[in-house]
Amino acid sequence: MDYHRSTSVDEALPEPEGFAGARSPAPAAPALPPAMEPAAFHAATERILRAINTVIDGKAEAARLALTVLLAQGHLLLEDVPGVGKTLLAKTLARTIDCSVSRIQFTPDLLPSDVTGVSIYNQASRRFEFRPGAVFANIVIGDEINRASAKTQSALLECMEEHQVTVDGESYRLDEPFMVVATQNPIEMEGTYPLPEAQRDRFMARISMGYPDRDAELEMLETHQATSPLARVTAVVSADEVASMIATVQHVYVSRAIKEYTVALGRATRESGMLRLGASPRSMLQLLRAAKATAALEGRDFVLPDDVVSVAEPVLAHRIILDRKAAGTGETAQSVIRSIIAKVPVVQDNVRPAAPPAGR
Amino acid sequence: MTLAAQRSTAPGPSGAGPEVSAGAPGGGRTARLEPWVMGVAVAAAVAGAALGLNGVLRGWAWYPSVLTTVVAVAMAMAGLRALRLRGVVVAAGGLAALLFVLTSTFFRQHSIAGFIPSPDTVAQLPRYLRRASETVLAESSPVAPNAGIVLLACGVLGLLVILVDTLAVPLALPATSGLGILAILVVPAMVKPQSVGWLGFAAAAAGYLAILAASHWFHPNSRTRVDTARGPGQLRRAACTGAAALVLTLVFQLAIPGFDQGLFPQGSRLNPWGSASGLNPMISLGNNLRAPSGDGRITYATSATQAPYLRSVTVDNFDGDAWSPDDRDAGRRIGTGRMDPGTDSAAEEQLRVVTAVNAGQFTSPYLPVPYAPESVNGLTGRWSWDPATLSIKGVDTNSRNQQYVVTSVVPRLSRAVLAQAGSGAEGVSETFTRVPANVPPIVRQRAETVTAGSTTSYAKAMAIQTYLRSAEFSYSLQSPVQNGYDGNGLSVLADFLAQKSGYCIHFSSAMAVMARLEGIPSRIAVGYAPGRATGATVSVAGRGALPEYEVDARDAHAWPELYFEGVGWVAFEPTPSRGVVPAYAAEPSAPSGASTNENNDGLIPEADPRPSAAPAPAPLPVPAVGQGDQAAGRLVPVLYATGAAALLALLLASPALARAGMRRRRLKAAGGPDAAAAAWDELQDLAADYGVPPHASETPRHFAARLRGSAALGGPGSRDGEAAAAVSALTGDFERWRYGRPDASPASGDPAADRLLLVRRRLRERATWWARLRALWLPPSLAARWRHRAAGPRLAVTGLAGRAGLAGKTRNGAARPGSGLRGAARRLRGR
Repeated sequence: MDYHRSTSVDEALPEPEGFAGARSPAPAAPALPPAMEPAAFHAATERILRAINTVIDGKAEAARLALTVLLAQGHLLLEDVPGVGKTLLAKTLARTIDCSVSRIQFTPDLLPSDVTGVSIYNQASRRFEFRPGAVFANIVIGDEINRASAKTQSALLECMEEHQVTVDGESYRLDEPFMVVATQNPIEMEGTYPLPEAQRDRFMARISMGYPDRDAELEMLETHQATSPLARVTAVVSADEVASMIATVQHVYVSRAIKEYTVALGRATRESGMLRLGASPRSMLQLLRAAKATAALEGRDFVLPDDVVSVAEPVLAHRIILDRKAAGTGETAQSVIRSIIAKVPVVQDNVRPAAPPAGR
Repeated sequence: MTLAAQRSTAPGPSGAGPEVSAGAPGGGRTARLEPWVMGVAVAAAVAGAALGLNGVLRGWAWYPSVLTTVVAVAMAMAGLRALRLRGVVVAAGGLAALLFVLTSTFFRQHSIAGFIPSPDTVAQLPRYLRRASETVLAESSPVAPNAGIVLLACGVLGLLVILVDTLAVPLALPATSGLGILAILVVPAMVKPQSVGWLGFAAAAAGYLAILAASHWFHPNSRTRVDTARGPGQLRRAACTGAAALVLTLVFQLAIPGFDQGLFPQGSRLNPWGSASGLNPMISLGNNLRAPSGDGRITYATSATQAPYLRSVTVDNFDGDAWSPDDRDAGRRIGTGRMDPGTDSAAEEQLRVVTAVNAGQFTSPYLPVPYAPESVNGLTGRWSWDPATLSIKGVDTNSRNQQYVVTSVVPRLSRAVLAQAGSGAEGVSETFTRVPANVPPIVRQRAETVTAGSTTSYAKAMAIQTYLRSAEFSYSLQSPVQNGYDGNGLSVLADFLAQKSGYCIHFSSAMAVMARLEGIPSRIAVGYAPGRATGATVSVAGRGALPEYEVDARDAHAWPELYFEGVGWVAFEPTPSRGVVPAYAAEPSAPSGASTNENNDGLIPEADPRPSAAPAPAPLPVPAVGQGDQAAGRLVPVLYATGAAALLALLLASPALARAGMRRRRLKAAGGPDAAAAAWDELQDLAADYGVPPHASETPRHFAARLRGSAALGGPGSRDGEAAAAVSALTGDFERWRYGRPDASPASGDPAADRLLLVRRRLRERATWWARLRALWLPPSLAARWRHRAAGPRLAVTGLAGRAGLAGKTRNGAARPGSGLRGAARRLRGR
């Protein structure tokens, strides 16, 4: 229960670079690869999305959002009822990229060392050697993450936040790109350890798959009877390509107007009477990064308010906590965020006297 | 006072007063001051409004009594309230104080101890009331401030003090208490031609504001108190309200005819009784003349060559403060079929003139007829006539809707006849020769100066008329009003001779009084000056078709009639620019007069059935001049109306103009560096004009999609791909300008102006005619913009308040670092 011991989750903002260098035997964070040409970027995203869509029918939006999170260097939480293709989506995304993939099936008896790795005494060399755990991969699929104990969850979460593993005082840097795709089951709560808010905050976005529509379901029954669709999936982009795609996303321009709008949205969640907990500053950062990735996917090199709006719901919904009264009246986190988006003016500086100034 | 004294002793020994006030929520000191401040405010308001009564009551002699009453009542009520008595008791105390003050002021000799009413006081009261009633009925404003009318004024004002005080304090309706003040102001507004006047208005308004301020100070309600803290909002609201009131006042002034004088919208047009001329035609004469519209239209057809004067009554008793017709009911004779004055005329010849009169809506007990009536036929009801004056009065009826035919006898008069007339007063009642006792010296002195050197009565009369018609005197309906000598009576006459400006009443009474001073019997005839030809003809039995004339209230007139022995009563015309000077009274030296004499030997009116015999003789018919004046007078309202219409048109067109100017500016800016922004603003406004208003929380892209999909532009499956593309291009430009890299070159292509015009054209084509009209003349975008601008200060205020309120709000603790821990703790507990 004392998961606070192993990681300092309450630190304010992530500082991956600053933390990395000092004592790490792993190489320092590599310099960013060059950004991609827009055409090449577009072609690469198209390839990925097409590949995913051949496997999962009728879930183009979820696939796109997953790719957005990947390009924004975030982590994805897939939360839905069993059997709608959470794990399939995670695996497909992983396979379309030519990179290392590992999969952890979270169970109550899973230990932190199973995730991060363990130091083993090598009798030949008479030294402790580090055996990397499952987390040392580009894409880590954490299945049913809420089944593991909090201690084990925490071990994963440090990796997610800081892109490094610390074992016996030694820090090991993880390869880039690094993305955790976790799934969890919302209804089968017995014997689970639900992620607390602070840890859910580490995930950039939460997606609910939802049931496929009638045609998509028919199509699925038609094509997926005999063979696993995954078998046909091959990698369509290399890890290097993904790295430079990420660089492209990082080059997307964010104007001051967008920052103001984002901040206004965040403040609105904190001031809303229907919420007990509003969006954190970290979530604002992640919202903006997701918006940048969205803009890049749209083929733009600057962010529009539409980009922010389109990712606001998956990025913010799992971080906020509804007020009891609001929950009693049938509000959901999604509906509250929608109503806030419908209220906050897009152009902030026209009504600057009315709106609280950005920043303190 | 006894009541007050008893009450004041009651709470005294208990000593409850200070303790209660100390425990009161309002705080001791201010709460104790409250009744006195309110009392002073109420007294100031009522006494201030009473200032406006100057002009209804003559002079200022009445004001001290009024002031005493008002202050005494207000202070008595304040004192009782300071003792924390109940509201009913305070009102009763105010009534008692009023009673005492009135008794002390008016019935000191007939009361107990000088101020307590006694049975004797009650016995005296009817006398005062009768006096007041007489004044109200018989006199025109300003009336003399006799005891009766002042008592009435003091009593009513005292009651109003109680009313205002009761409304303002125990009923807590300070704004409504203005009704009491309004009740005072209504009186001068109705009675005085120049309305309340700035002094009374300003004083009343100041007093009213004092009441409001005092009640606001002592009993701020929660809502207004909040507003006081926010200065800008209140100031803005006050400014807006004031401006709106000013605009309404100015607009209503233009819309309602009659407010034509003074600094403020003023005028006597509010008087609904203006045309009713009941008891004293002398009183209504001035108001009739000043009336803007011709009420009481009378038409008549006559066989005389010129329209005759219509005379309804004479005034012959010049005693007293106000002159009024002497009815001499005892001497009147019933029946108008044959009237014989019983005087012989020395005139060589007499002419019979037949006049058919339709009195229409003119309502008076006296019948307007041409002088001297011999018989009146066709009347309904019973009528009586006075042998002395030949005035015809209804016994049980009035002139309304009467149609009658008058046969009047007109002596042929000439200068020669009049010059030979005797100067005695034989054959005429002493009534017409009696010189009033209190003739002002100036009148007597002027009469002597003017008639010095004249020997015969005729010469004296001519001298007086010449003097009054000289250039020294000017005809003015307004200057008597403005200088406070409007009305009738000897004191007015003195003022008139000093100011040398007035209207017919002044001229005629001056001549009549001066004639009596010179021994010539005289009286004032009241009626109508010769009217205007309507162009129609009326067929009268036995006379064929006669030309028709009309007169209305604006032709009301008074003129003197002088008696010459052996000739009878002769009319003169001392009023410049009104009426027609009879030939016998015209200046011998005047060329027109001379020609008149040669042509028809100075007859008035000349009875000649042949129309050809009246070729341009006689002095210039003055009504023409009057008409010119009236035309000029009518021009002013026309100018006003034109100005108002132009202003209104400008006001109506201003949204369209403002919108067009805005569009032109933006289209011009569409070539500059901020082209995209200007074009975007214009696109949003265009969409708003045609029913697709942008929302603040809407992204540009979303708005553009909504616009493209709306019925206003294209809608699904339309051929307006072109317009949709233009909208998309404008949106893209704007997005790049607003959200893109600052160094990026703006996308070119078609100039934004062309795209905008295309979109506008499409919007216009698809809109209904009503939407097109609205977009042009009353653009919703502009309305939204104005609303937004007007709401700006309010938003700022609520924003400030909201931020201030946030400090105390810990609900969403995460918003502030300090409360994060508390929030976390609460969450943990809640778990």
